[in-house]
Amino acid sequence: MEKGKMTKIALALIVVLMVGMLAGCGGGGGNKSSNVEDKDELIVATAYDAKSLDPHAVNDVASSNVMLQIYDTLVTIDGDGNINPSVAETFEQVDEVTYKFTLKKGIKFHNGEEMKAEDVKFSIERAANSPAIAHIFGDIDTESFEIADDYTISFKLNNPNTGFLSSLAHTGGSILNQKAVEAEGDNYGMKPVGTGPFKFVNWAKGDRVELEKFADYHGDEPKFSKMVIRVIPEPTNRTIELESGGVDVAYEITTNDISRIEENEDLQLSRMIDNQIQYLGFNNQKEPFNDIKVRQAISYAIDTTSVVETVWRGVGKVAEGPMAPNVKYADHSIEVHEYNVEKAKELLAEAGYPDGFKTKLWTNEKQERVDMATIIQSQLKEVGIDVDIEILEWGAYLDSLSKGEQDMFIIGWTCQTADPDLALYGPLSQETLGAGANFSFFIDDEVNDLLIKGRRIEDSPEREAIYKKIQNRVVEQAPWVFLSNGEAVVGSAKYVKNLELTPFGYHPLFKIYFE
Amino acid sequence: MIKYIFRRIVMLIPVILGVTFIVFSLMYITPGDPARLVLGESAPDEAVQQLREEMGLNKPFLVQYGNYIKNLVVNRDIGISYVTKRPVMQEILSAFPATVKLAGLSIFFAIIIGIPIGIISAVKKYSFFDNISMIFALIGISMPVFWLGLLLILLFSVKLKVLPASGFSSFKDMILPAVSLGAQSVAVITRMTRSSMLEVIRQDYIRTARAKGQKEKVVILKHSLGNALIPIITSIGLQFGGLLGGAVLTESIFSIPGIGRLMVESIKMRDFPVVQGSVLFIAISFSIVNLLVDLLYAYVDPRIRSQYS
Repeated sequence: MEKGKMTKIALALIVVLMVGMLAGCGGGGGNKSSNVEDKDELIVATAYDAKSLDPHAVNDVASSNVMLQIYDTLVTIDGDGNINPSVAETFEQVDEVTYKFTLKKGIKFHNGEEMKAEDVKFSIERAANSPAIAHIFGDIDTESFEIADDYTISFKLNNPNTGFLSSLAHTGGSILNQKAVEAEGDNYGMKPVGTGPFKFVNWAKGDRVELEKFADYHGDEPKFSKMVIRVIPEPTNRTIELESGGVDVAYEITTNDISRIEENEDLQLSRMIDNQIQYLGFNNQKEPFNDIKVRQAISYAIDTTSVVETVWRGVGKVAEGPMAPNVKYADHSIEVHEYNVEKAKELLAEAGYPDGFKTKLWTNEKQERVDMATIIQSQLKEVGIDVDIEILEWGAYLDSLSKGEQDMFIIGWTCQTADPDLALYGPLSQETLGAGANFSFFIDDEVNDLLIKGRRIEDSPEREAIYKKIQNRVVEQAPWVFLSNGEAVVGSAKYVKNLELTPFGYHPLFKIYFE
Repeated sequence: MIKYIFRRIVMLIPVILGVTFIVFSLMYITPGDPARLVLGESAPDEAVQQLREEMGLNKPFLVQYGNYIKNLVVNRDIGISYVTKRPVMQEILSAFPATVKLAGLSIFFAIIIGIPIGIISAVKKYSFFDNISMIFALIGISMPVFWLGLLLILLFSVKLKVLPASGFSSFKDMILPAVSLGAQSVAVITRMTRSSMLEVIRQDYIRTARAKGQKEKVVILKHSLGNALIPIITSIGLQFGGLLGGAVLTESIFSIPGIGRLMVESIKMRDFPVVQGSVLFIAISFSIVNLLVDLLYAYVDPRIRSQYS
């Protein structure tokens, strides 16, 4: 063959290959429609693997998401924040610190044992001694358990805490079988035994957890018999698996993929603002941030709405105050803080920094936080504040934050129960400075007194007033610039019904049915 | 021969000591507190201190390292994961099969594609086929594995819907990851085969073989390839050893729970025992692969075989 012809063929081949590659980049496609009536298995794609299935060993959303399907708690919280009995038939707060539970009879663990008061004592005591959930259960008086009979148990707290009942609905309050825990020892986290709607079958670490319907479940029988929770870290892959019918539900759909799911007629999108807040914190004890005028000036200088819209592109919402909107007693009258460069300059001048100053802004490598930091950097330049962004790896970040070396920093906080106490006490009280999550070293006696009072008095208009007062006081004192609230964005096939989202990031998948 | 193998195994001891010491020091000086990471940002300080005590993190560096080595030598135990509380060995053994499967398939793919192309390219030097395959080899070496992986997913999972985008249980699941991970090895092996073959084909004994009227097929596959094999095996061995160390990007893109992902997750969580154990495990497997490659030389080349006796 002559040489010119060869070259032509070669070129043609390359063109064909290129076109083939580009064609691969086109839009989405349809879904395989299998027979929904016969469907007996739910496959869910999550971003992270569970760390352990021992409710007292860990406290992360991925683990809780699996444990919620396996375990029951004494009480549960419904979508409106009401506390309902679960394995407890009735519950009662006897006095300020004493709680009494009457258990349902005949509840079986997955190993066939009956659940009795001893198991509850064992579980709650174990929770109280667990460092991972100490901020939720650490205040239980472990000497105070009283078992009246197999189905009646009471115990006390060291200090009154109104949010405690809703804490019991956290997966850390799961009821475990004493025998199973003791038999497995250190390996219990891999072999959980609960009383929940699904029992544990197998866990291929990093890949999937397999669960099976528990025939003797005491509540409503699940409508399908097998649940597989798969770990797919790459966000695009979760969407692709959803599109191609490989999974029925996919968690954490990213902004890029939202429209692909919305436009696909075989898929649906469920969304819920969660209990997380991302904020820009100041080190309130360090110059110049110990001056309220400087903090307010920076608030005025940041156009939060544009920061959040640019970075999160339609997922989540702009934060208004220190508490996410779905937490009980969130003050919805608080508005997003004003953006006013002139006012910011004025305040800076009053504080003695007419030409601004040089400072550092820390964040970990989470992309959205880095992006927010970059925009904030350029906005603060307008008022003369010269910001140096430092990106720290998560482990180092937490370490340095608790030592108080920071100037400004971006971090998030999630309220893991429905009670406002957990939303505010950790990041704002004087008891938790630094290591306990008050990374802004915010010391304000009024807020602190109210926080303590708030956790002690029972739910009432007075309690509501206290928490609203705290929120307004924090807004006024500006220890943080409130940035954004997160959102659970979950994609699922159209035939998936009754997918209930919670603001905690883990969801009762056992309630799903197919239609 | 046995003596040689034994000597090589003994040489693993300094390797193990060196690797553990380096990793241990690096983890020690890295900022970030494992106890704090296990418990999360909301845990009170006392709880973190208590856990540090339990983990033995309050002890001086040398004491910690000494305890680790003692445990390793005396109990052959590499510890318990800080995060999952499971024995590290179990963690590694549950991640390693996926990695072996992925590495094995990738290298298999690389061999069956790379060697034949390399041979043909060498035999038909500067031909159209040679040029095209060298261009592709160049692309293969230069293309980032995650990008190739994503393109393959787009084409085969999204557009054509013939292969799954994630998972690792069936052979079908493994095709895309193996191809994208193997692409670079294909390129390396192709080029190595070509250059090694070219070297050999020029030799006098090949001319002699041809002169005595040997069939071209035999000249190429037996006389030439046989003599060209040593550097090819070396590069295959190195590639395979490297792949056994885990392919974090490929494992992440295709959701394969291999040792690469295990290690990155553990580094993030400062799960020292798991990091330490995985690195140790990888170092040993790498050394073993190297040993096997060296032994394979003896099998392939009688001249080397004679040195062992």
